[in-house]
Amino acid sequence: MEIKIGVYICECGPNIAEKIDIEKVINAISSLEDIAVVEKFSLLCSADGKKYLSEQIKKNKLTHLVIAACSPKEHEKTFMEVCEQGGINPFLFQMANIREQCAWVTEDKDEATKKAIRLIKAAIKRVGYHASLDKKMIESNPNVLIIGGGIAGMEASLQLASKDRKVFVVEKNDSLGGLVQNFEKSFDDMKLTSEILDKKIKQIETNENIKVFTNSEVAEAIGFFGNFEINIVSQSNETEPVTINVGAIVVATGSNLIDLTDNTQYGYKKLDNVLTSIDFEQMNLSGNITLKNGKKPKSVAIVHCVGRDEKGYCSEICCMYSLKFSRYLKDKIPSVAINHLYSDLCIPGKHHQNFYEETKTDKISFSRSSDIKITQKGEQLNLTYSDEKNKTTNLLADMVILSPAIAPTNDAAKIAAITGISRDEQGFFEEEHEKINPVSTSTDGIFIVGCAQGPKNIADSIVQSEAAAGKILSSLIPGKKLEPEIKTSHISESFCIGCKTCLTVCSYGAITFDETKKVSVVNEVICRGCGNCVAACPSGAAHSKHFNFNQLYQELKEAVE
Amino acid sequence: MNPLKATGVPAKSGVNKTIIDFLDKAVEKKVFDAVIVPMKTPAQDSYSYVLVKEKSLLKEDGVPLPPTMFIQGAKAVSSITRRGKPPMKIAAVMRPCEIRAAIEIAKLGQIDLENIFLISMDCPGVLPTSDFLKDPKKHEQLFEEAIQKNDDSIMRPVCQICDKSSMIAGDLHIGTVGTKKGTFLIISNTSKGENVLKELGYTLNESIESWQKKVTAISADKKKKRKKAHAELKSKVSGLKNLVETFSECINCHNCMRVCPVCICRLCYFDSDKVKHTADDYLSRAKSKGSMRFLPDTTLFQMGRMMHMSISCVSCGACEDACSMSIPVAQIFSMIADETQSVFDYVSGRSIDEPIPLVAYEKEELSSVEDAHD
Amino acid sequence: MTKTIQTTKSTEEAVKDFLKTLLEKEKVCGVFTLKKITSKAVAYTLVTDPAELDDAVPLYPLMPVNAGKLLSRFSLKGSSKKPVIAVVKPCELRGFVELIKREQGSIDNLFIMSFTCGGVFPTSTEVDGTAEKQLGSYWETVKKGMVNKDVRPTCQSCEEFIPYTADITLEVLGKTDIDKQCIMHITSKKGELLFEDNKNKFIEKDLDTKKLDTIRKQRSQEKEKLYEQLDKKLTNIDGLIEIFSKCLSCHGCSKVCPICYCKLCEFESADAEYGPSQYDSELKKRGGLRVPPGTIYFQLGRLSHISISCVACGACDDVCPVDIPVAMIFKKIGESVQQMFDYVPGKDYDEPIPLVTFENEEFSEIEE
Repeated sequence: MEIKIGVYICECGPNIAEKIDIEKVINAISSLEDIAVVEKFSLLCSADGKKYLSEQIKKNKLTHLVIAACSPKEHEKTFMEVCEQGGINPFLFQMANIREQCAWVTEDKDEATKKAIRLIKAAIKRVGYHASLDKKMIESNPNVLIIGGGIAGMEASLQLASKDRKVFVVEKNDSLGGLVQNFEKSFDDMKLTSEILDKKIKQIETNENIKVFTNSEVAEAIGFFGNFEINIVSQSNETEPVTINVGAIVVATGSNLIDLTDNTQYGYKKLDNVLTSIDFEQMNLSGNITLKNGKKPKSVAIVHCVGRDEKGYCSEICCMYSLKFSRYLKDKIPSVAINHLYSDLCIPGKHHQNFYEETKTDKISFSRSSDIKITQKGEQLNLTYSDEKNKTTNLLADMVILSPAIAPTNDAAKIAAITGISRDEQGFFEEEHEKINPVSTSTDGIFIVGCAQGPKNIADSIVQSEAAAGKILSSLIPGKKLEPEIKTSHISESFCIGCKTCLTVCSYGAITFDETKKVSVVNEVICRGCGNCVAACPSGAAHSKHFNFNQLYQELKEAVE
Repeated sequence: MNPLKATGVPAKSGVNKTIIDFLDKAVEKKVFDAVIVPMKTPAQDSYSYVLVKEKSLLKEDGVPLPPTMFIQGAKAVSSITRRGKPPMKIAAVMRPCEIRAAIEIAKLGQIDLENIFLISMDCPGVLPTSDFLKDPKKHEQLFEEAIQKNDDSIMRPVCQICDKSSMIAGDLHIGTVGTKKGTFLIISNTSKGENVLKELGYTLNESIESWQKKVTAISADKKKKRKKAHAELKSKVSGLKNLVETFSECINCHNCMRVCPVCICRLCYFDSDKVKHTADDYLSRAKSKGSMRFLPDTTLFQMGRMMHMSISCVSCGACEDACSMSIPVAQIFSMIADETQSVFDYVSGRSIDEPIPLVAYEKEELSSVEDAHD
Repeated sequence: MTKTIQTTKSTEEAVKDFLKTLLEKEKVCGVFTLKKITSKAVAYTLVTDPAELDDAVPLYPLMPVNAGKLLSRFSLKGSSKKPVIAVVKPCELRGFVELIKREQGSIDNLFIMSFTCGGVFPTSTEVDGTAEKQLGSYWETVKKGMVNKDVRPTCQSCEEFIPYTADITLEVLGKTDIDKQCIMHITSKKGELLFEDNKNKFIEKDLDTKKLDTIRKQRSQEKEKLYEQLDKKLTNIDGLIEIFSKCLSCHGCSKVCPICYCKLCEFESADAEYGPSQYDSELKKRGGLRVPPGTIYFQLGRLSHISISCVACGACDDVCPVDIPVAMIFKKIGESVQQMFDYVPGKDYDEPIPLVTFENEEFSEIEE
């Protein structure tokens, strides 16, 4: 097949035209092998420019297209569409960036022109080795699986469910609600949580587009965005496992408090009347705040920041709920003396400062402290600590409430293994990007919301649920066809020796091992074309369709010669 | 890690007979269904591994500790277990470095260890194949004498400095050095091995202390020799000029790569399309220096192979025996392997549970290298 | 009568000068020939700078790699834009031609200089330095046209020592005044392009066929002797097993063979692997199975694939780590297969490989 490459240089207004001697470039390129035409144009990305290009392709019967212009990040997609309009496969195209990489980095016109020529020559060399690649379309399933029926999971389900989109909620306990069920009230409006919860639960129960599986767990999740197959098992042996198909997964599995059983510092489970925040919430919800001996506490110490040093992060909500506890206590035992011991106070946000100020009255004191140790002293608890001035001091209290750090749930590792999402060094599920993509994970189609992603309050959990719902609503449109990555990798069956090195470096779970043939196989729909397997394969049996050895080698050689 | 347990067996007339008797017993009692053991070939001029089921063949022709290592044993085992676990229980008898190689390539999916029992013995070294071939009969005798005299001067150069000649990585190991007079030890290293001995009615109450002491002493002595040999070798091959000269006679036949148990790729990178360039590419390369050896990239192949397999090299020396141009490849590769493996505190083939550093991800690692880029 | 250019210089010096001039006058952009790279080692080298030809040894009696294989690699992805000249031995040239017939190279823009060949030493002599020491006696035997006992067995018994398709053929074998005179025969029309400046200096002369026939007779006798020795061992399958019992299936013979060009040899592919069912049945039948299996299978398989084109260069012998006489075995069997089709590998570019030629009437003795 004869190769006819068309090279078009964009002036990009003054951006390129003023900084690069385009005539010189045209002269240098025109005489090269396989070049059918070299032209310049004022603005190739404009409507006129695109029209011009597709006409040029047809007129000159081009087989390949090279465009020297701005960054591919700007307009690679644009020109690939132009290729399609002009009748050539969009992958028989290469862009040379002579704006960001030449015109915009130097004032020296000579240097910029020389570099532009090199880059364009390299692009021309490369494009000769390109192969046509075909688009794939797969039918997407609009339904959603939500793992966890706490406040975050419930919110997501209500946002997502519609007649075109079924939502399946899998909850390991026997009822929806999660940790929030334990709270009498929530900060800082101090409204009854039951009001919010009951309303949401009712909405879910009456929504025919939401199916809830309680006492159940997800045993297996295989597939990819738009097409997951989920296996749900019930904890009671009577019910058969259920298989459902969904297009997206929301992980809303919440959190735990860190385990203080082995901790000797705070006397938890060793001394009477030392409670964690959850213990206290439950005690408060029951209506009776009492000591082990049945009497009401006259003094309570609330210890913030338990386990913060060990974990290395602040759990965001403990100071606020500790203030809430002061309010609980004052409501039920007006005369109680409360001491807050904290290493730092964390009260961010619009409303919290006010809440703190209003909580701080006489008989509720706040002391900065460190190295707290709790021992028994008679019927009371003795808390020794170093105060602000580093002086060792102590205080006695009838009851101690600990605010322990928030940690991932015990089954977080299992869930990560089943879904294939990664966890950060603390064990929370890892977001794709802290700022830019906070509810997505590196696995397309799997989202993380609420405390499963990291400690946060109810409001922020709801924000994340809405964000994840938004992402799903906009990308997993019912009836929509998904276009998976085309520039995938491929493993030659005859050359693969089955050492599985590629499997260990694939972050997307896109490689499976065929036990009969003893070779690794790439799932072209899940593959993201990252190239890890290509780099890792010692023999080169794995290769990338659009970044193969010849393409890169020839481009590089041309650029540096 | 299983504690080592042992039973004592009469030394009889040498380690070969002892092992054959043991295997024979095991096959009789159906503890093993078949055995992979070296045997003399029909031409009587070499030994090859044979998968044998017929007891009479095993008894008459089996030579568990032959004077040469024609084929690296791991390759023999892999040739029949790559496609899946054997439908029968197979015991494979070979030298410690071959066992280690088998374990190493099991980690790379080349051997299915289920139903395979790996049996090693204290290794006196192995003769270079070319020496053996000059006069097989004479060298068989020399080998026997060398074992009696504890003299390894006729063995492969890498054997002479091997500090792992009694390293146990498989299921069972026959201890012959430092043992009570007239006794050899059969040592179990895994529960699999232990069960075999129990099934055969052995009581595992023999002390391994004197064996261990002797083995430690031999290893320490070898380590000293190794250090000295490596220092000498390093000065000979260090630096680009020396490196190029060392490999100047290499004809890129790739024999070394193909006999290496750890080089498992079906199509080596250095045989693939990636090293095939256009005529003008070759000419422009030649032009930059005025002349270019053709085909180029001999040193690239050697260094590339080293980079790919050094972390798994078991220093068996098969490569050097196969080299058609007598280049001391094994000595060089073994020396570098010591260094690359020690960076990760890794010993190739030491344990099936120890992942190869290449595919083991550590968030904090090699900070001395990584921090340099901060 | 062919056109010749005659120079009163030693053949080696004349050749070097000629090659240098070709580079200097830009008639070629590269020269492919043997060069001394250390005191012992020689290697084929692609030379672009004439000064680098000072230590070229174009006629050195060593073949570290079959140059036909190298020329195939050079031109595998297409010929060079400008001409290159290669100095290679007759069997290397024939190997190259056989590869070209299989689309594994191209003769375009490639000039070939070859010579009547006295054979090469085994590569082990390069390693132990004896090649250098034996050079003197080698050239004496070459001048006299005698069989040299130090060269490869395949060379001692080689009857195809006159190149067929070279553009320039040097008189070497049997040339008593090789140290004083160089005679270059221009043995193709293409070759004349290199001598445009010397058109008036051509002398018409043929190779001394009488002398070369005598040499061929001696080689044939040597061949019969070596075949006889081989026949004692190559009796039947048992003989075959014995001869190849040392074989470790390293496949070195295949890798250095110019005719073995497959990217992934069938005997290394997954198809050749034994699964549990295979060795299970072998064990049931015979009680034992050599592992890795397939040693003889590989040898016979390779024979069946390449024997039609085997040029008997002997590279396989030198690379074998266990000194199996592969080269003579393949030469003998190759020759008998080739004789069945009256085929001489590498003789003629246009002669198709019998493997891919269909004849309506063929092997009637078998077919009927």
